[in-house]
Amino acid sequence: MEVNKKEESMAVSGFLLKERVLRQGAEARVYRASFLGRSSVVKERFSKKYRHPVLDRRLSDRRTLQEVRCILRCRRAGIPTPAVYFVDYTSHCIFMEDIVDSVTVRDHIASTQRRSDPSSALEQLVPLAAKVGRVLAQMHQEDVVHGDLTTSNMLLRKSQDPAELGLVLIDFGLSSVSALPEDKGVDLYVLEKAFLSTHPNTERLFQELLNSYVASSKKSSPVIKKLDEVRLRGRKRSMVG
Amino acid sequence: MPVVIGFEGSANKIGIGILRDGEVLSNPRRTYITPPGQGFLPSETARHHRSVILCLLQEALDQAALGPADIDCVAYTKGPGMGAPLVTVALVARTVAQLWGVPLVGVNHCIGHIEMGRLITRAHNPTLLYVSGGNTQVISYSERRYRIFGETIDIAVGNCLDRFARVLKISNDPSPGYNIELMARRGTQYVELPYTVKGMDVSFSGILSFIEEAANKMLASSQCTAEDLCFSLQETLFSMLVEITERAMAHCGSKEVLIVGGVGCNLRLQEMMGVMCEERGAKLFATDERFCIDNGAMIAQAGWEMFRSGQVTKLKDSWITQRYRTDEVEVTWRD
Amino acid sequence: MHTSHRLELYPEQTVTQLLFKCVKNAKELRKSVMEGKIDAAFINPKMLVDPFQVLVAANKAVHLQTIGKMKTRSLYSEVIFNLSPTNNISEAFKRFGISDTDDSVLVVLITTEGESQVLADVVEKVDGQQIPVAELSTLNDVTQIKKLYKVTPQEEKLGSLLDSVVCRMAIKDVL
Repeated sequence: MEVNKKEESMAVSGFLLKERVLRQGAEARVYRASFLGRSSVVKERFSKKYRHPVLDRRLSDRRTLQEVRCILRCRRAGIPTPAVYFVDYTSHCIFMEDIVDSVTVRDHIASTQRRSDPSSALEQLVPLAAKVGRVLAQMHQEDVVHGDLTTSNMLLRKSQDPAELGLVLIDFGLSSVSALPEDKGVDLYVLEKAFLSTHPNTERLFQELLNSYVASSKKSSPVIKKLDEVRLRGRKRSMVG
Repeated sequence: MPVVIGFEGSANKIGIGILRDGEVLSNPRRTYITPPGQGFLPSETARHHRSVILCLLQEALDQAALGPADIDCVAYTKGPGMGAPLVTVALVARTVAQLWGVPLVGVNHCIGHIEMGRLITRAHNPTLLYVSGGNTQVISYSERRYRIFGETIDIAVGNCLDRFARVLKISNDPSPGYNIELMARRGTQYVELPYTVKGMDVSFSGILSFIEEAANKMLASSQCTAEDLCFSLQETLFSMLVEITERAMAHCGSKEVLIVGGVGCNLRLQEMMGVMCEERGAKLFATDERFCIDNGAMIAQAGWEMFRSGQVTKLKDSWITQRYRTDEVEVTWRD
Repeated sequence: MHTSHRLELYPEQTVTQLLFKCVKNAKELRKSVMEGKIDAAFINPKMLVDPFQVLVAANKAVHLQTIGKMKTRSLYSEVIFNLSPTNNISEAFKRFGISDTDDSVLVVLITTEGESQVLADVVEKVDGQQIPVAELSTLNDVTQIKKLYKVTPQEEKLGSLLDSVVCRMAIKDVL
């Protein structure tokens, strides 16, 4: 039963056509579907028409691969990420665990700020910031650099005991394995920018996150040093080479 | 209706433009072009600017059919940019402001590009991609600041293109980027080059060092042509830019993109951005080389916005600065 | 008693699982498979956490067969290979295939429409007591499973053993 690659992509794409799109990002569509009897999430990296086809395929291939590799690496270390059930490399689809009853950290922060006054909201969010710091310290300890840390790429499980704070990291498409403090520093820098631009006036919260990161990590000082350097880079750029 | 004159000379282009109520009355410009294989240095660039600035000033007034008495405000580029050229231009701006007895406004160069782009295209509230020899930023307006969402963590995309042009000794006339664009159109083979996006940021030093090292070897072994390299470099660099722009748009829920800065003249970049926009149901805005490339009128326009919302620069504060972040400026003219 | 699941991605294919205990003819069954006389996968239930694990292996096998990228020579051997956390084929057969002395077996069949007779034929060949597939957990060895799949203590806190197992099965080829 030999069918060529093109037809194979059709099997998964055909399947997805009938499924519900949960959200569409810049380069991936996420569906909810029943897969092998389980409610699952399917992440499809679709082709970007503005890219040269060779580059497009190369990026989709690489990002699909990196995503699943880093997910497993994280899980082995006890860092919460969704479990992967199946990967179709021809259509760049990842079938994985559906984290039900969850909300993005982004939405959680926004709703907390909406229903409380600013200082009370910050107080309520401190434990969450501390938890994120701990999880990221663990992730960097495993030499996993996420590459795209934002509050939309972190999920909070609702059904658990609020004190437990079930955090799950997702979207590892830009991730890589690196021991370099520079890469980890940039990882935190990316989060800082995303954090502060999405959630204005939360500098204190992000500082709590960093404090927690430093407290949970044995190798944090070179990373924080690099973070400081990258923060200054924007201000030190010279115009001409 | 105030008439504003704007002075720009932060890199190798020197331009003086006059604006009245959103109408560009004149906008002459000169470019300091170096021989192929050479970049432009601050002192030589300043020398060039010094030698043409007074003629240019006369030209600007003549073309607008105005005299010094008609000018109500002098705007100049406060930064960012190269030190010596910035000083040269600021000196003249300060002098004429005093001579003519009019207020002075120090403008952020990036904001000059943004405000000119907004004026010309009438984009409502776009996600901005600002790309030039000295800058690469994805910007979005929010609460009185032009906030930087994504940027290069090392060199600017225009700088990357310019340095690549030097490796292949591509002519700098009229600009290295333009000649790369022409050659790229004749390229057919796509050569794999490093691609680096980190979150909303990009990094170009990797691709530059790769291509600086590999270009001549590849050409010598006839693996590909110079046109192929130009083509591949553009496809890769521009894909990175489109990607981070799209991420910012997805993040902000934006439906408009405005490209400003010298590299924004590139039709291939505009084409690629257009494809991305179409797929998302968003609209693309861009200007032509009159306004993409550094010019005086853009400084006048930003200066006018600042002036009418109450910002002026006292003489003692009219220094220049090589580093000046876009988000440092309080955008008092927008809500 | 048996479970059947139509593959969502390959709707013409249905995966059926049958579980047997007190099996007396494991040696014969193994021989028949080797000789190509039975078209099915015979799996040692000791290493199985849940029927979902088998479905994941079967789905991947059908997918790889469709794109011509199987690592083994037949669909059923591919199912067995896919259960393993490593890329070593003979090791997979050793751990997940049946041995002559086994007294329980999980049978997997992948059939298209109108092949129901195949089921009856296979059931006949197994000399043992068929039990519901849901009782798989009475026959498995969780300690051995954790050891084989190298499930870390920290990972156990994240989710079920099944999640850890399936995740490794899904990603092992690109590690």
